[in-house]
Amino acid sequence: MFRRRRGAEDFADEIQAHLALEADELEAEGLSPEEAHRRARVAFGNVVAAQESFQLKSRVFWFDNLLRDLRFALRQLQKSPGFAATVIATLALGIGANTTVFSIVDAVLLRPLPYHQPQRLAEIQSSDVGQVYESNDVSYPDFFDWRAQNHSFEQLVSYHDTSYTLTGVERAVHLDGEVVSAGLLPLLGVQPQVGRGFSAADEKQGARVVLISHALWVSQFGSEPSIVGRTVHLSGDAFTVIGVMPNSFRFPVTAPKNSFWTTLAIDNEPHNPGTANRGMHFLTVIGRLRPGVSVAQADSDMKAIAKRLAREHPNSNAKHPSARVQGELAVLLGDTRTLLLVVLGAVGMVLLVACGNIANLQLARMRGREREIAMRAALGAARARIVRQLMTESLVLGITGGLAGCLLALVSTPLVLRILPPGVPRAGDASVNLAVLGFALGISLLCGLVFGTVPALIASRTNLVEALQAGGRAQIGGRDWLRSAVIVGQVALGIMLTSGAGLLLTSFLKLTHANEGFNPDHLVTYRFETPDSRYEHTRPEFYRQYFQKLRGLPGVEAASGSVFPPMGGDEADLSFENPEQPVPEGQRPSAIVDIVAPEFFRTMQIPFLAGRDFSDADTEQSPQVMIVSEAFARKFFPGENPLGKKLRPGASSDARGPQWRTIVGVVGDVRRYATDRDMTPIQYLPASQLSRWCCLTTVARTAMDTLSLEPEAAKLVASMDSDIPVTDVHTMDDLIGLQLTQPRFAMVLLATFAGLALALTLVGLYGVMVYSVSRRTQEIGVRLALGASRGAVMQMVLCQAVVLVGVGIAIGIAATMASASVLRSMLYGTGARNPIVLALVCVVVALTGLLAAYLPSLRASSIQPMQALRNE
Amino acid sequence: MTTQRTAADRISLLQGTLDVLILKTLVFGPRHGQGIARSIQRQSEEVFFVDHGSLYLALQRLEDKRFISAKWGVSENNRKARYYSLTAKGREHLAEKTTEWQRLTRAMELILGGKRAPDVEEA
Repeated sequence: MFRRRRGAEDFADEIQAHLALEADELEAEGLSPEEAHRRARVAFGNVVAAQESFQLKSRVFWFDNLLRDLRFALRQLQKSPGFAATVIATLALGIGANTTVFSIVDAVLLRPLPYHQPQRLAEIQSSDVGQVYESNDVSYPDFFDWRAQNHSFEQLVSYHDTSYTLTGVERAVHLDGEVVSAGLLPLLGVQPQVGRGFSAADEKQGARVVLISHALWVSQFGSEPSIVGRTVHLSGDAFTVIGVMPNSFRFPVTAPKNSFWTTLAIDNEPHNPGTANRGMHFLTVIGRLRPGVSVAQADSDMKAIAKRLAREHPNSNAKHPSARVQGELAVLLGDTRTLLLVVLGAVGMVLLVACGNIANLQLARMRGREREIAMRAALGAARARIVRQLMTESLVLGITGGLAGCLLALVSTPLVLRILPPGVPRAGDASVNLAVLGFALGISLLCGLVFGTVPALIASRTNLVEALQAGGRAQIGGRDWLRSAVIVGQVALGIMLTSGAGLLLTSFLKLTHANEGFNPDHLVTYRFETPDSRYEHTRPEFYRQYFQKLRGLPGVEAASGSVFPPMGGDEADLSFENPEQPVPEGQRPSAIVDIVAPEFFRTMQIPFLAGRDFSDADTEQSPQVMIVSEAFARKFFPGENPLGKKLRPGASSDARGPQWRTIVGVVGDVRRYATDRDMTPIQYLPASQLSRWCCLTTVARTAMDTLSLEPEAAKLVASMDSDIPVTDVHTMDDLIGLQLTQPRFAMVLLATFAGLALALTLVGLYGVMVYSVSRRTQEIGVRLALGASRGAVMQMVLCQAVVLVGVGIAIGIAATMASASVLRSMLYGTGARNPIVLALVCVVVALTGLLAAYLPSLRASSIQPMQALRNE
Repeated sequence: MTTQRTAADRISLLQGTLDVLILKTLVFGPRHGQGIARSIQRQSEEVFFVDHGSLYLALQRLEDKRFISAKWGVSENNRKARYYSLTAKGREHLAEKTTEWQRLTRAMELILGGKRAPDVEEA
């Protein structure tokens, strides 16, 4: 397209031919050869000029110019390596940080779900009207009614987590999986790689079919296609494998390790079927919207159904009289969204600060080159050429910085992924990809263009005469307020970032130093299944023996078990009857429940406030008992002694149904999640009286290195039942750390970005001050000559910096106050407007600013008046 | 000795005239750049002085517009030279321009020659 029709050499040849022909002719007219050549040359005029104008008219001259500009730019940048290095490093930091964060945001927020037409997937939750705390999960009967009665969804599918032990293979393994309804695969638009999906018949009572993951197929079944139709044993039950899912299949996307999917027939047990209990809320429901149906339309459809159900079944549904439909991606992201947006905002601010610096550096540099540019203009360079020349320099810087930033991103993305909270969906798939690299390159080009154009345009407007005369003291005042505005903006952004980081740091410190209500030191937890097929009735006895043996192991100081241990991430809410405050069934109070073995409180070191612990003497036949937490006593028995009171929590173990239980003890409160803001009321029930509740997570306090218990414990469990693998071995400190990863992640990133922003602001302010002082050398010289003291000169320069920083701080405080609410959901133990944090931040920023101004002021005060005056 | 006049006698070419003159020169067959320059100077009785920089620029321009085409050849005294020849499009353009010039010079002549020309406005 830009093929040159004729080369410069060809043209030069033609001119040479012309000169030769002319000389020939002149010779023929009688001149001597030398004279003829001289005349021919004179007659032709300026050969070089002709060649040059040929170049200019040539179609590709712009390309030649570009190359020339590039070479020139590189030469110019070589001449000021400090400037070039600062700009490139600044850009690399800004773009590298942005690219890293964008890689993660892209994977988590922007990429669609890996299913067919994911925008039509929605989650339906049951909801209350106005009440704060009520589970959003759905019960089976409600789900069946929703599925049958709605007009908005093509498919509606329920699911909940489960886990089984796979036996009959080399070594029994613990597997996580999902219990789903039959429509799952059509709803997601996914086909099994081998075999078939679920059919409606697979939901019928007694059906035991399972789809297995590709990973399980490979690891346990040697990728044999003959697996389809075979029987496998999961926790003692026989399941028929009907298919293998593709390698890329994840469902739910938050559980990438799921190994199998089975149908809700599992929950349809002959006695006490979960599928018939309208009060048991433990399902997540998703649906595929019919074409053309919006989330809002589906929402009102489902709300109407939920309202009708609440009227028909007041006992079970009064607390869930409504429903809510949300896009699946939105639900999945939850509060991760806030976190990522805050981080993205922070990194954007860093980029702004970086760009501000580059703009200021460029402006200062342009100022230094005023004379050079004026000279070139005086020598005949067109204004457009000068602008292009300067822009080429900026683009070179921008692209180099961009490439350096990409390299930085490639290095830092894996590092950031490592500190990313484990709950962030799909983060495992994050990587620096083409879209992200395009994004980075786009930013760097934009930076180069914007911060090259403005100074270049200003420079090209330089008044030639003024710039050249009087030693180049011509000033263009407008640029100074521009530079000052940039600094003020940087300081303001620095305040916002640093105060955000300060708040997160404060909140994180509060979290890590919070009293958990128990002593997490030297506590180890692990799980194993006790499948119903063998332990449905013998569970209490099994556990009694097991804990007895465990406590006998060397190094074990105390040991017990809990179905929902603190920091474990699981919990259940259980309603109860209080005879002193009779209310209709649907409006009974509820509280978090934990089902524990004896010595749980001693093991955890949860203080006993009154009464006694559970013991092995509390059996299904003995009087039924329970223990409550302090917060429970305060909430439900204010001003009374709860000991001896009777309640009937809605948990049963056999056909007798829920039993009246006597409160025999009151214990201290514990924090169930490391990020809980309040201590929640808890009711504790004895595992020995609820044999059907499975399974206890072991908690053991050891005298030695915590995890060294693992092999001994695994051996102990295997000695009691060789088909039970021990899984999820963690120290309590690890579990707490795991729950704090999100706040830690936010804090570390924001603190990094705040530090970056402050460092960049320091560099920027320093540059501005140095420049301003060098420009005022003469003025300062005059002042000194007229008797100003050096202290006064220093003060004058510092004053200038103080004004800039002061205005920046004022704007920063205002902006921080205005945007405080963004962080609120991420803060614990501190308000979003914490005056102490803000004051500290202001001091830090002010000190940073003064530091940046100190050296230039020192330089100003050491100016020699005579020299300064002579120089000009 | 030399047939060229002194600089003071020469008239610089009017804007846009060089192209027409080049095309006209080529009517009689292919020529190289130096030949074209000589020919224009000679035919104008040395009134027109051709600036060679402009000449080659004009040749380039005409080539770009496909009024002329060029290829390397050998001159009568055995020198390599780039020969330009008129294309059909160039011929057409020349005819057009020639008419235009004739009308212009006639009008100029009418005015500068002092004769009244009733139809000047039309021109």
